[in-house]
Amino acid sequence: MNEMTPVQSVGVAKPLVDGPEKTTGKAMFAADFQAAETLVGRILRSPVAHANITAMDTSKAEALPGVHAVVTEADCSDTYGVLPIAMNEWALARGRVRYRGEPVAAVAAVDVATAQRALDLIEVTYEELPAYFSAEEARAEGAVLLHDDKPGNIERDAEFDLGDVDKDMAEADLVREIEVKCSEVCQVQMEPHATFAEYDGARERLTIRPSTQVPFYVHKMLARTMGMAEGHIRVIKPHIGGGFGSRTETLQSDLIAGLLARKARATVKVVLSREETFITHRGRPESHITMKVGMKSDGTITAVDFTVQQRGGAYSGYGIVTILYAGSMIYGLYNISSARFQGLRVLTNTPPCGAFRGHGTVKTRFAFEGLIDDMARELGLDPFAVRRANLLAAPTMTENDLLVNSYGLDQCLDWVEKASDWQARKGKLPANKGMGMACSHYISGASKPKHWTGEPHATIHLRVDWDASITLLTGAAEIGQGSSTVMAQCVAETLGVDMSRINVVSSDSALTPKDNGSYSSRVTYMVGNASIDAAQNLKARLIEAAARKLEIATDDVECLGEVYRGGQQDQGLTFDEVVMEALAGEGTITVKGTFDTIPESWGGRKYRGAAIGGTMAFSYAAQVVEVTVDPYTAEITVDKVWVAHDCGKALNPLAVEGQVQGSVWMGMGQAMSEETGFHEGLPLAANMLDYRVPTIIESPPIEVGIIEAADPHGPFGAKEAGEGSLSGFLPALTNAVADAMGVRACELPLTPDRLLELLEKKARDGGANSDRGAA
Amino acid sequence: MELLPDLKLHHPRSVEDAVSLHAAASSGRYLAGGSDLLVNIRRGIEQPESLVYLNNIAEMQAITEATGQISIGGAVTLRELAESAPVRQHFAAVAQAAGEVAGPSHREYGTLGGNLCLDTRCVFYNQSEWWRSANAYCLKNRGEICHVAPGGKKCFAAFSGDVAPALLLFDAEVELAGPDGRRRLALADLYRNDGMDHLTLGQGELLVAVHMAKPSEAVHSAYAKSRVRGSIDFPLAGVAVRIAVSDGKISDLQVGLTGVSPLPFLVRKLDKFIGRAADDACLEELRDAVRGQAKAMKTTFTPPHYRRRVAGALAQKLAASFF
Repeated sequence: MNEMTPVQSVGVAKPLVDGPEKTTGKAMFAADFQAAETLVGRILRSPVAHANITAMDTSKAEALPGVHAVVTEADCSDTYGVLPIAMNEWALARGRVRYRGEPVAAVAAVDVATAQRALDLIEVTYEELPAYFSAEEARAEGAVLLHDDKPGNIERDAEFDLGDVDKDMAEADLVREIEVKCSEVCQVQMEPHATFAEYDGARERLTIRPSTQVPFYVHKMLARTMGMAEGHIRVIKPHIGGGFGSRTETLQSDLIAGLLARKARATVKVVLSREETFITHRGRPESHITMKVGMKSDGTITAVDFTVQQRGGAYSGYGIVTILYAGSMIYGLYNISSARFQGLRVLTNTPPCGAFRGHGTVKTRFAFEGLIDDMARELGLDPFAVRRANLLAAPTMTENDLLVNSYGLDQCLDWVEKASDWQARKGKLPANKGMGMACSHYISGASKPKHWTGEPHATIHLRVDWDASITLLTGAAEIGQGSSTVMAQCVAETLGVDMSRINVVSSDSALTPKDNGSYSSRVTYMVGNASIDAAQNLKARLIEAAARKLEIATDDVECLGEVYRGGQQDQGLTFDEVVMEALAGEGTITVKGTFDTIPESWGGRKYRGAAIGGTMAFSYAAQVVEVTVDPYTAEITVDKVWVAHDCGKALNPLAVEGQVQGSVWMGMGQAMSEETGFHEGLPLAANMLDYRVPTIIESPPIEVGIIEAADPHGPFGAKEAGEGSLSGFLPALTNAVADAMGVRACELPLTPDRLLELLEKKARDGGANSDRGAA
Repeated sequence: MELLPDLKLHHPRSVEDAVSLHAAASSGRYLAGGSDLLVNIRRGIEQPESLVYLNNIAEMQAITEATGQISIGGAVTLRELAESAPVRQHFAAVAQAAGEVAGPSHREYGTLGGNLCLDTRCVFYNQSEWWRSANAYCLKNRGEICHVAPGGKKCFAAFSGDVAPALLLFDAEVELAGPDGRRRLALADLYRNDGMDHLTLGQGELLVAVHMAKPSEAVHSAYAKSRVRGSIDFPLAGVAVRIAVSDGKISDLQVGLTGVSPLPFLVRKLDKFIGRAADDACLEELRDAVRGQAKAMKTTFTPPHYRRRVAGALAQKLAASFF
């Protein structure tokens, strides 16, 4: 008994708590639910890119035997959208369609074949308008407006001008510019979108299971679209097959399933095809970036001047936030004082973009890290030296008022430099091989929520009953990233009990406290902290009970997790006995824990939208990529990646490693092979053959170094682990290609055709690459 | 993926039964691995009433060797073909090509016959019913215009089977069975340069086997394929090379191409390389010769410019690997 210590759960590699269901196939995803007489929901999509809808006749579809409901915009009470200031989307197009594939009507029928026949019977008359598939076309003078209240088809022009850019640029020893173009990419999460909706006609209540990262937002938008009381809707999140941001806002299919279920007064399942999932999109926008950087001869950056234009698609979505991140996150990684940013988010007749892992930051980072690599070469500096010349010193506030409270970038650099044997190997590799490196960072949750309600950022309930198990109730959406596991670890660690005592119930609006959802890497930091707070509150209750039973003062109770005792010689009480005492006279215990951000983390006020980027903590990452280029075909092989990620504290090292590898891998897809494309607004690659997500053959060994620069406010010091390593891969790859072949790639993805063009251009130019900067 | 319509699935045990079942169906298709056909059916490109499954016919599942000859059944899987010892020994390019098709699971189902009779592909054709309908369909399927070359009346959908160009190197013959019995045909004559109708198979004919003569031991061959990913993808360009060198001079040279036109074909006018020393200049000429005949069109997401150039580059790379 004297040897007894609390059980350690944090810092221990733990398998995910929902692993067994998933590996045995028992986990129920939205498409797996099947009630008796479940109707099939199917969506009619616009065949044209931009048109006024002048007439719609659904009568033949309604008359078709087996059809239980047909819904159109007439069934929608209001618009929806993720940002309260930009809700300009209808679940089903009202009056106008703005991209090919936009939903215009939907049916619920007894089977797929009947539903499809019904769709074919819906008559829609379109009066076509000019359509714009590029940002340039949409911005051209005289272009028809997609939305009457968005002049110039500009969703948002964002800008800031901090410090004295012109003066600091003039004081630089070297000033260079770069222009980059990055294709649009899509998340391609494993599970296509699906929603299972049950309507109780007797009570006028909706119960819905959407494949979402944000059950709370879906709840709000269902109520708004359907004109229902929020309390009459129950949202239950099933198991989710990934999201990566594609489900960080309410999707039409969620709303359409609700509308169909109510109209049919029945149970309706809507399962989108992969093509429809691509069309729903919400991926990362095509971007065009120009950037100018001033540098001293020792590598110190004096100023950054840059522009970003994003092709945002047909509706607002997250657009305002995305373009603001593209600017604000130039800060927070390095010690930069003067920066000027002009951003344009443009509305076009393509599917709406959204919040893709690394939201807004990735393409700016690509431009910046490529440019400073070339400048380092020109100045005769090692790429590591240039990064080290610009490190921040935490705690500090950036020029745009972002709080940097912990900072492990220096350690990340040290780790990857050593692990890759950079100093010994760089520049000495055989022909057609090269090494490149880059750094990146990301927020641990946005400190200001989109829907400001005055509530805490996160709330956790812990319930303990007679069986001495602990039920952890959370609204945070477990989407495969391991959030339920991390919360269970935080609670178990705080109480010192074995994790097997804890059952996590995630995201059922009838049971669990509200949570904003799984996005912007907020969950570990915010909900982790709330979990610790709740566990501390529970522990206090249990200590009181133990003191009562042991007849000692609460201060004298020693909590060993599974045992509470008065002193080393005391046999003590088991956890079960303490629980029995705590329940006596009181019954089931429910305690609460919450978390709130501190005002210093809310971002600045120096320019419009300066709150975007404000966070409690930044993660940091550095990576080295080694490549081989086939000189005949220009195919790139990634031989190896070394990546170090500062996550403050690895609560679950196994999950951290997986998240970091996943980020690198996702960055690899975007860097090398993934892109959407359109033929007059029709998606050319809306399938997994033409949209080229890397396969296991392309997947290199990824060696992960976990750096723990503890954050003073993080749960056990932790910060985010799931996004920060993504954006660094893109420039690390192109820097490696520059090292191997002497060409600077400014267009992504760097597919073989793009690289071959660069190589042939270099050969034509007699070996001296005219592209600025490359050796 | 869209709904698979109701259809009858037949499991014949002999070639003759397969042919009769096909003939008896109002609209039937032969089915092997299904990795091409079933996708097209789900996309609404075709809606046969019956499928006649060929992978339970023993005669079509064997690889048999006779003196100087080999016969490969049409239902031999691509995995079996890639692993076959005699094929690897005498027809290396064929084994390599089979091993490069799609991914491991496709090769477990996919067959030689299926790969040789693959439908032609085009980014405007291999799309969903909704997509093609919104795009006014195309020449190859229900439409009036070609989106690759608007104004033209020729379909450029590309043949994308990997194995055919490798078999062409060895003057392979195909054995066909149909309502009128069996016949043999040079593999080259199985194809015509028309993306809409690229197979010369008669009504109800199926591919029973491929026959080839073993080349002399001096002959080497190899296959390489350009694609963005190392798995799954169809060839942007596929190149098979057959070469023999004696006394430092080229004595035998053939290059087969796939993925760059509606049919697989042997590059013409390579006689000029016979007797030449295989030096860098020669290999660059070979590259240019291949490039000149690889007239890829805009049928894939990847631009045709690259496909033309990489076809030549792969021929150069493969040839160089033998010196």
